[in-house]
Amino acid sequence: MNTCNNEQQMESENEIANIGPTQAPSNLWMDALHHLLEKRSAVVGLILLGTLAIVALLAPVLATHDPIEILRDAKRNTPPCIHFLGCPETQSQHYFGIDGNSRDFFSRVLYGARLSLLIGIVTITGSIILGTMLGAISGYAGGWSDNLIMRIMDVLLAFPYLLLAIAVVAVLGPGLRNALLAIAIVEIPAFARIARSSVLSIKEMDFVTADRALGVSPARILFRRILPNAMTPLIVAGTLGIGTVILSVAALSFLGLGAQPPTPEWGIMLAEERNNIFNAPHLLFIPGIAITITVLGFNLFGDGLRDALDPRLNR
Amino acid sequence: MQRKMFYYLGITVLLISMILSACAQPAAPTQAPAPVATEAPTVPPPPPPTEAPAPVATEAPTEPPAAPAWEGKYNLSAPDCSYGGEFKAIEAVDQYTVKFTLCNPDPAFLQKVAFPAFGIQSAAYLEKTGGGGDLLSAPIGSGPFMVKEWVRGDHLTLAPNPNYWGEQPKNKEFIMRWNAEAAARLLEIQAGTADAIDNPGPDDLANIQADPNLKLLARPGNNVFYLGMNDTIPPFDNEKVRQAVAMAIDKQRIVDNYYPAGSVVADQFVPSFMVPGYVDGYKWYDYDPAAAKALLAEAGFPDGFEVTLSYRDVVRVYLPYPGKVAQELQSQLAQVGIKVKIVVKESGEMLQSVAAGKEPLFMMGWGADYPDPTNFYDFHFTGASKNFGEPFPDLMEAIRAAAYNADPAQRTLLYGKVAELVKQHVPMVPVAHGTNFIVYKATVENPEASPLADEMFNLMSVPGQDQFIWIQNGEPISLYCSDETDGETFRACYHIFDHLYWYKPGTTDLQPAAAESYTVNKELTEWTFTLRQNNKFSDGTAMDANDVVQTFVVQWDASHPLHVGNTGVFEYFAGYFAAFLNAPK
Amino acid sequence: MLSFLVRRLILLIPVLLGILIITFALARLIPGDPCTIALGEHATQEACHLYLERMGLNDPLPTQFLRYLTSLAHGDLGNSIRTNQTISSIVLLRLPMTLELAFCAMLFATVVGIPLGIIAALRRNSSADVLTMMGANVGVSMPVFFLGLLLAYLFAIVLKGTPFWLPPSARLTAGLSTVPLVQTFHLENLQGLPLALVTFLSNMVTFNALVSGNWKVEVDAWRHLILPAITVGTIPLAIIARMTRSSLLDVLGLDYIRTARAKGLKERLVVFRHAFRNALLPIITIVGLQLGGLLGGAILTETIFGLPGMGTIMVQSIYARDYPVLQAAVVLIALIFVIVNLIVDISYGYLDPRIRLQ
Repeated sequence: MNTCNNEQQMESENEIANIGPTQAPSNLWMDALHHLLEKRSAVVGLILLGTLAIVALLAPVLATHDPIEILRDAKRNTPPCIHFLGCPETQSQHYFGIDGNSRDFFSRVLYGARLSLLIGIVTITGSIILGTMLGAISGYAGGWSDNLIMRIMDVLLAFPYLLLAIAVVAVLGPGLRNALLAIAIVEIPAFARIARSSVLSIKEMDFVTADRALGVSPARILFRRILPNAMTPLIVAGTLGIGTVILSVAALSFLGLGAQPPTPEWGIMLAEERNNIFNAPHLLFIPGIAITITVLGFNLFGDGLRDALDPRLNR
Repeated sequence: MQRKMFYYLGITVLLISMILSACAQPAAPTQAPAPVATEAPTVPPPPPPTEAPAPVATEAPTEPPAAPAWEGKYNLSAPDCSYGGEFKAIEAVDQYTVKFTLCNPDPAFLQKVAFPAFGIQSAAYLEKTGGGGDLLSAPIGSGPFMVKEWVRGDHLTLAPNPNYWGEQPKNKEFIMRWNAEAAARLLEIQAGTADAIDNPGPDDLANIQADPNLKLLARPGNNVFYLGMNDTIPPFDNEKVRQAVAMAIDKQRIVDNYYPAGSVVADQFVPSFMVPGYVDGYKWYDYDPAAAKALLAEAGFPDGFEVTLSYRDVVRVYLPYPGKVAQELQSQLAQVGIKVKIVVKESGEMLQSVAAGKEPLFMMGWGADYPDPTNFYDFHFTGASKNFGEPFPDLMEAIRAAAYNADPAQRTLLYGKVAELVKQHVPMVPVAHGTNFIVYKATVENPEASPLADEMFNLMSVPGQDQFIWIQNGEPISLYCSDETDGETFRACYHIFDHLYWYKPGTTDLQPAAAESYTVNKELTEWTFTLRQNNKFSDGTAMDANDVVQTFVVQWDASHPLHVGNTGVFEYFAGYFAAFLNAPK
Repeated sequence: MLSFLVRRLILLIPVLLGILIITFALARLIPGDPCTIALGEHATQEACHLYLERMGLNDPLPTQFLRYLTSLAHGDLGNSIRTNQTISSIVLLRLPMTLELAFCAMLFATVVGIPLGIIAALRRNSSADVLTMMGANVGVSMPVFFLGLLLAYLFAIVLKGTPFWLPPSARLTAGLSTVPLVQTFHLENLQGLPLALVTFLSNMVTFNALVSGNWKVEVDAWRHLILPAITVGTIPLAIIARMTRSSLLDVLGLDYIRTARAKGLKERLVVFRHAFRNALLPIITIVGLQLGGLLGGAILTETIFGLPGMGTIMVQSIYARDYPVLQAAVVLIALIFVIVNLIVDISYGYLDPRIRLQ
C-alpha cells in the first residue's frame, strides 16, 4: 500500500503542477474522462444513465401502448403478464401489468423516464444559470450587494427544503411546471454559494489582475476568465443536484402538489397507488425502483466526475 | 463525537424551551371570557319536605317551606318569524318538558334534533366555561362514555360514565385513534393492534373478505356523487347542453370500475332509503352518446366544445378515487366531442371556488346528515348554495312544497315532481351512491354498520379484553360538536352526549334517548318532548328541561354571551334551522 | 473569535425577519381559507364571511402582519384557528416527538455510518469498500417515502408473526401511555419556565418512560421509533459514511501518518489515535448540517408512520389553512436550522486551530 501511495502521490503532484488555469481545457477534460473510466462506480453510473437516455429517447418506439389511454377491456391492477415467462397466451401481454386506471403500466414507466430526465435537466439548468449569476455578481462586486444577496440566500436556505417547495407550489397552484419552478428556486442558494466561492478564489489570481490592469470590462472578465474556471464545481454539483431534483419532484407529486393526472410521472404513480400495497405491490415497487436507479446513476456519475475533475484528490 | 451531538441537542433543547417558556401561556387557555352569571344556574333540588318538629302540638301547622318554584330560566322566543329562521320559541314548560315552536312545518324535526351537533349540554357547565375553552376539550355529557384522556395527535380514551341512564358499556375503555392512510389502518387491524377500523381501501376488500380473522360490514351509501354544472357559465347556460352531458355519462362503467362492491348507480339525487323522497321506478336519461351528440348539435355545438373539469384530490365516501374518475369522465365526454381539461384544485381552493359559483363543470358530492330528503334537496337547489349558479324557480317551489308538507303520502308525490324537474333542468348529473365499509376483528361481539356512520361502540366488546381500540381517518377537532362539522369529531361526541332521540343501532329508525316521548301537533310546528327523569351528567348533576333549552338557545341567539364555541360558526344549526336570532348584519 | 460570534449573531436578525415575512406572505397567499376547508361541501359564502371577520382574516395583509408582529413581541404565539389550542401548547406537545425522531435518526446514522466509513477506508477498493459505498449510494438515491413504505411492508406484513415484526405506525401501542412527569414527581407547584421545561421533557416518551421506570412503555416506544428512524436516517447515514471514508483517506495519505507507520506504531494506533481524530472535523461538520436537514425529512416520514410530531402538524396546517400554527411551526423549524448551523460554524472555528488563528 505504501508503494502504491507513493506512485499515486507523485502522479497527483505532477497533475497539480500541470493543471492550472493556463492549461488548454481539452487536456483537462481528456484526463478527466480517462480517470472517470478507470473508476468502476462511475462506469456503472454512466451505463445506468446511458440506458435511461436510450429508454427515454426511444420511449415512443419501445412502448406497447399509449401511456395515457384508458384501456377499455383491461382489468384494473392486473399483475404483470409476460408470455415468455409463462403467462398464458389467452391473457393480453402487459410487461408491467395494468395500473389503477386501466392503463398499460410499462408504457407509463417508459414515458416517465422521459419526463424525469426532462425535469432534472431543465430544473438544474435553470437553477445553475440563476444561481451562478447571483453568486458571480455577489462574489465579484462584493460590498453591500454581496451582503444582500447572501442574506437572501441564507433566508432561503433556512427553510426546510421540502417545506419551502410545498409552500411555493401551494401558492402557485399544483402542477408540474409550478413544482419545477418551486424546486428551481429552492436549489438556487447552493449554486450561488459555489459560484461565489469560486469567483472569490479566482478573483485574486494574477491573470485576472492583469486583465483588470489592462482595463478589460468586468463583464468580460467574468465571462471569459472566471466562469470557465468555476465551471467544474458547478457541473459536479449540478450532476449531483439532478438526483435531488428528481427526488424532490417525486416527493411533491407524492403529496399531490406536483405532476397532475394523467401525466406519467413516477412520483405521482407512487402516490396514486400507495394504498394498494397489499393487493398490487408491483404498482409501487416498479416506479420506486425506477426512481432509485435513475438517481443512483446520476449520483455515481457525479461522484466519478468530481473525483476525476478534482486534481487534489488521491487516486 | 457523540458527545458533541448531545451537546448540540442539549443546547437546542435549552434554547427552545427558553424561547417557548417566554411565550408560554398559563396552563388553562385564556380564550374563554370571564364567567358572567352570579347566580348558581342549577336549581338546587327541592329540600325534602320538613318534618313537623316532634313536639308539635302547640304551633299551628306551618306549611313546609315551599320548594323554590322551578323556573324555566332560559326560555327564548323570537318576536316574530321575520328574522328568517325556523324557530319561533324554545321553552321549558316544566322541569321535564321542553317545547319547540316552529315558524314553518318541519316533518324532519325529529331527525334533525337526533344529530350529534345537538347533544345536550349541562347549562351549568356552559356557564362555567363561557361557552368555549374547556367545553371543547373536557366536556361533560350524559352519554354512555366520558373522556378519560385526550392526548392530542395520538389518541382519545373514553371510559364508562357511571351516571349513564342506560346500560353500562360493554368495554372498560374505548380508545379512538386515527390514521389518514387506509393501508396503515388495515395493517393495524391485521397486526392485531386494533379491533375495528373505518374505511378500508376499496381494492383491499377481497383480501379482507378472504381473511378469517376479519369481518367486513358495509354501510349502504347514503350519499351521492355528482357532476355539477353551473348554469350561469356558458355553454352550460343552455339547457340542451346540460341534458346532452346527462346522456353522455356511462355511470355503470364508473361504478363497476371505481367503486367498491355494493355501490349503486345514482338515478336520482337522493339514495334509495330516503323515504319519502326517493322515487321508485324513476328513470334518468339512458346512456346514449349518439343522442348526446345530436342534442349538442341542436344546441349549436356540432363539434363539441372545450371546458375545464375541476375536482379536489380528496378521498370521500362518495368518491374513493377522484383522480381515476376524473380521467374516466374526461375520456367519456371526449366521445361526444367535449374536450375536457382536468384541473386539480387544492381542496380549500376548490371548495371556495365552487361555493362562490365559479366552476363551470366540477366533481362534488354530498353525504347525508340525517335521513330526510330535505337534507339533500334544500341545501343544493333552493338558492342557499351557489354551486350550480342560479336556482330554478319551479324546482325551488316544488322542493319547498315537499319540505313543508306534513303528510307522508303527499310528500312522496311532491318529491316525484321534484325529481322530474331535476331531470329536466339537469343542474347536475348524479352518478353514484358510494358504499363504504367498516372492518371488525372476527371476535368482536355485536359488530354494527350504521348507514349514518353512527356505530355505537359502547355495545361492543372483545372477549378477554377490557379495551376496544378503534382507528378512524382523522382526529376529532374539538368535543363541542355544536360547533363542529366532520364525522370524525361527531363519532366521539355521540358517545359522550345524549340527544333527545337517537338511532336504533344499525338503522335509521329513531328511539327515545334523553327524551322518553314526544308529541307533535298536526301542522308539525309544535314539538313537545318529555324528558327522562333522574338523568344525570357525568359530574353527578341532574339533567332537566333547562339544560335542553340552554343547549339550543346558546346556538340560536347569536348575541348570547355563551354563543362562542370553537369557531363560532355553528354550521349545523344554521344549516338545519335557517338562521340565527339577532344575527349581526 | 468573539467578534466573529457577535457578527454572526447580529446577522441572524435580518435572516429571522426575512423568514417571518416570507412565511407570513406565503401562508396568506395560499388560496382558500380555514372556514371553507372546515365546512367542506357545506360551505357557503355567508357562513364563512362572519367567521373570517371574527378571526380578523378579512383585514388587509399589512394590518394582519403588524398585528402578528406585535403579538409576537408580547410573547404571544396565538391560537390555532382549527382547534383553538394555544400554539405554545401545541409546540410543547409535538416538538419533543420530532426531536426524538431526529435524535434517533442521527444516532442510527452516526453509529452505523461512521464505522462503515472507517471500514471502507481501511479496506479500500476491497469488496467491503465497494459494497458499502454502493449501499450508501443506493441509500441516497431512494425516495424517502418509498423507503418508508418498503420498510413498513417488510417489517409489518412480510415478517408478521416473527420476532422481527415491528409496528408500522403510531407512537405507542394502543392502550399504553405515559404519565406526565408533573404527576409522577409531584411537581404541581411549578410555574412558567420550569413547568414548560418539565412538560417538554415529559412529552418525550422515551425520556419520560425512562425516568418513570416504566420499562414496558420504554421498550414499546423504542420499537415504534425503529422504522421511522431508519427511514429518516438512511440519507444522512449514506452521506456520513461517504464523508468518513473520504476524510479518513485524505488524512491517511498525509506525511505524518507515514511517519507514524515508519516509527513502527501498530496500525490500530495509527488509525484511531492519529488519523481518525484529525479526520473528525469534516465529519462533525456534516453531522451538524445533516441535523438541520433531518427536520425537513421528518415531514414525510411522520406522515407515513403516523407520528404526532411537528411535521404532521405542519402538513395538516397547510391543508387546513391554519395560519398561526403554520407560521409558528415554520419559523420554529427555521430557527432551529439557523441556530444549528451557527453552532456548527462556531464549533468549526473552535475545533480547527487553523481557522481560529486566521
